[in-house]
Amino acid sequence: MWIRWKLVPVIIITAVLCLVLTMQVHAHGAKIEYVVDMMVEIVAMYESGEPMSGAQVVVYAPDDISTPWLTGICDDEGRYSFKPDTSMAGTYDVQVRQAGHGDIVHIPVGDGGTASGSSGGYGVGQIALMSVCVVWGFIGTGLYFLRRKA
Amino acid sequence: MFRKPTASLCIIVLASVCIIVIGCGGDESTTGTLQFYANGEDFVRQGFVSKDGWSINFDHVYITLADIKAYQTDPPYEPRSDGSIDGKVRISLDNIYTVDLAEDGANASPIIVDECADAPVGHYNAISWKLVRAVSGPAVGYTLVMTGTAEKEGRVVDFTISIDEECENSCGEYVGDERKGMVADGGTADLEMTFHFDHIFGDAETPLDDNLNLGAIGFEPFIDMSKYGEVDINMAELHLGHVGEGHCHCLCE
Repeated sequence: MWIRWKLVPVIIITAVLCLVLTMQVHAHGAKIEYVVDMMVEIVAMYESGEPMSGAQVVVYAPDDISTPWLTGICDDEGRYSFKPDTSMAGTYDVQVRQAGHGDIVHIPVGDGGTASGSSGGYGVGQIALMSVCVVWGFIGTGLYFLRRKA
Repeated sequence: MFRKPTASLCIIVLASVCIIVIGCGGDESTTGTLQFYANGEDFVRQGFVSKDGWSINFDHVYITLADIKAYQTDPPYEPRSDGSIDGKVRISLDNIYTVDLAEDGANASPIIVDECADAPVGHYNAISWKLVRAVSGPAVGYTLVMTGTAEKEGRVVDFTISIDEECENSCGEYVGDERKGMVADGGTADLEMTFHFDHIFGDAETPLDDNLNLGAIGFEPFIDMSKYGEVDINMAELHLGHVGEGHCHCLCE
């Protein structure tokens, strides 16, 4: 199996919660401040496993899917990380390209910056449609037998 | 017990949740134009050197396309899923098109195949098409016909390579310098069916041990049929069809 042209990189999405703890301790009483911040990290590699080091990265935010929101370069290990704007919930599209090969990955980011990424699976609409089809199957079967009795 | 009016109502409800499937000429209130292009890239327009050292220049590259569809998918279609495209909106072109990817020479633009003037607005982030045998014209009987001249170390050969294997490509979003397929009300957008011919012949500018060249046939087998016999081409493994740099799922007969 040959890979480089298929190359469409295997992009592993890792949602990383980076805890940035800012602590202030006072002599009288105590005060602790903290910030929970979310970073999204992708790892782009060829199907051979070779990292796409130096690949171009373009990130599109949910509010404008045609204009790049952020651009960057993968590191030597094919990694690139960015901090989504938590006020913009939706899908962040991340495109990675190198030497005529590339791929795009779609990363859902919910309110509060919670990443809920998964590739494959079924969306809500698909599940609803499947449910309707199943119900209709039962109804149709029932109608069929009712008609034969009549 | 269900009476007939109830059954009819069920059918109407069921139909209402199904995807919008229209050809060109839909009756959506907000529509734009979606153009479909075919692109053989500079490999076809300007020629290139194969992995086995043949300098190839094409006169014509006829490819026949049919059942071209564009989709708005959510979640986005993933070509590595091996599944079919499930779009909430789908538009289609009903004709069969034979286009010459080498048309108009070295500096030509991608070839426009057709357009849909009444495409519902939205982002068309998936596309599918079939390679079918032409039923008329210069490539009749074949899905892909390549003619041209190749040269290596002073040896010059004219070639005609004809492939009759039919394939279906299912692709996700176009990957390239810009995002494509975003139809606005009254606006025009485009999608591209891209064909990577270096996947067939290999590319001398890429290391020979690169997977691209390891999988490519090269040019030599095509000019020395007496040695190799009929060249066995598995189009599904060659993955000719792309969307820009993006991958497609390919099924061949």
